[in-house]
Amino acid sequence: MLEARLQQANVLKKTVDAIKDLVQDCNFDCNDSGIALQAMDNSHVALVSMLLKAETFQPYRCDRNIALGVNLVSLTKVLRAAQPDDVLTMKAEDAPDSLNILFESSENDRITEYDLKLMDIDQEHLGIPDTEYAATISMPSAEFKRICTDLMAMSESVTIEATKDGVKFSCTGDIGNGAVTLRNHQVEEKPKENIEIELTEPVSLTFSLKYLVNFCKAQALSDSVRICLSNEVPLLVEYLVSGQSYLRFYLAPKIGDEE
Amino acid sequence: MEDTPMDEGNLALETPASNVFVPPSIHRAATLRGETYTHFSPVPPSLRATTPTSTSNTTDSQQPAGVPCALGVDEAGRGPVLGPMVYGIFYLPLPLSDPLLKTTHHFDDSKVLKPEVRSSLMQTLCTPSTDLHASCGWAISSLSARDIGAHMLKPANTGSYNLNAQAMDATIELIRGVFARGVNVKEIYVDTIGQPAAYQKRLERVFPTAQVTVAKKADSLYPCVSAASVCAKVTRDAALEVLYEARAASGTKGAGGGDGAEGDEEEVDEEQSWGSGYPADPKCSAWLRRNMHPVFGWGPECRFSWGTAKDMLESKGGVKVEWPVDEDESNSRLTDFFMSSDREQDADELGTWFGTPAGLEAF
Repeated sequence: MLEARLQQANVLKKTVDAIKDLVQDCNFDCNDSGIALQAMDNSHVALVSMLLKAETFQPYRCDRNIALGVNLVSLTKVLRAAQPDDVLTMKAEDAPDSLNILFESSENDRITEYDLKLMDIDQEHLGIPDTEYAATISMPSAEFKRICTDLMAMSESVTIEATKDGVKFSCTGDIGNGAVTLRNHQVEEKPKENIEIELTEPVSLTFSLKYLVNFCKAQALSDSVRICLSNEVPLLVEYLVSGQSYLRFYLAPKIGDEE
Repeated sequence: MEDTPMDEGNLALETPASNVFVPPSIHRAATLRGETYTHFSPVPPSLRATTPTSTSNTTDSQQPAGVPCALGVDEAGRGPVLGPMVYGIFYLPLPLSDPLLKTTHHFDDSKVLKPEVRSSLMQTLCTPSTDLHASCGWAISSLSARDIGAHMLKPANTGSYNLNAQAMDATIELIRGVFARGVNVKEIYVDTIGQPAAYQKRLERVFPTAQVTVAKKADSLYPCVSAASVCAKVTRDAALEVLYEARAASGTKGAGGGDGAEGDEEEVDEEQSWGSGYPADPKCSAWLRRNMHPVFGWGPECRFSWGTAKDMLESKGGVKVEWPVDEDESNSRLTDFFMSSDREQDADELGTWFGTPAGLEAF
């Protein structure tokens, strides 16, 4: 049986909000170390990988490995009923056909309870090899979102180019072209605005902006985002939820004749 | 599309008369193929401009104009989910408008005229040697259900083409056709679709030589519009009949036993008919439900863009269609990079997630 109590319903709300437009149905795989989710979008271009470690919950209990097959649109409907600061508890039997979700208001004694029907989802898991990325960029998540939405107005795809001079997001569209360049930037007083670029070798890859803008919905989860690139490898965009819990997005690069 | 509620009386008026007169404006083959077409009646000789061939020296100046005419425009079958939407125009010499149409033949709004009366008026109009045939001309444009649906359902980014725009273009094409046939149209009366003022401006720009009047309820105000509405309505009724017969014929053929007694078949037909073709007509919705193919829906007689049809096909009994995602050739796939790892192969993140089996060395 599973019992997982989350101090802030918001964490799950924002996570589900961030992925529901990429994936419709997916399994929440629960085991004794936490709840994980891995799913590709229909076109197999993007992949979501979520891990909510047991430490994120207080308490957390999971006796057997359970796969909770959830329709994310339905889950969103249920989570909409939760206030951001409600305490959220998820419960399920060992071979569940429904997921029990409970919201407790911290202010008054209001208790909301839902049973969400589950489904059998046959899902393939992809093995994601450990990669030493050639470039790792940490930046404010709001900044990344701004870059993506701004460039989206111009073009469908963006070329991300990391060199020792900095990282350049550039695009070319029908009306012209545009680029944003960021450099290492660290100010002690405002660590939230830090931009950190670690580079072992120069990288240049092109990605579909539609997906990147979609990933940016996870901005609400974390102030900063980590972007990892290597030539001819999918891009990794990572938002840390809390502690070691994360929401990661992988995006396959565009191929062909950009140059 | 709004489904306007309709009471019993209206439904009776909208339901075509059985044995409706089939006017020459029915192009059977095109109707059955679900094509949009136009039909122009021959221009009565009395309206034609006196041909310049007889006189020698008027070649460079304007052709002598024919008799000044009034022209009315009206539509039939805007709301139904079945059958074409028909635009009708009707023209005749200005001074004849009132006496001939109103007094002699009692043309009125086709929604007021009984189906049988409409049908017989149309028959008179199409019979040579009658006064109507001698001095009046008419034309129709039949926008097929298939084309209406196809235009309306175009994706928004490729420029969808709504019903009003389709209707306006059909009207303009018809009037142009009459001008091209040498009729001297002086006054144009149009029953409105939407805003009269905007529509009037547009027509005035296209036909600067005519005096254009766009009005609500024009079909009950101007006799030539009433007559146009009769042309449109009878054509639509007949088209519906043609489509229905084709449907019914293929239906009985499919059923196998086809040669029951005459009387029996009549009864069955009556019971299974699609009525007026309006979504609010219970006969029509029952017919749609009975005759829906789970994948393809209906034939060219149905406007797939109508809410009634769409809902039925998408949610009530139609097969759910999963459209393939747009293949984007320029993007690589994640599956090109990451291998399926349902068997724990490498010690990667997700592979180890559920724990690796303890090897023999553990014991």
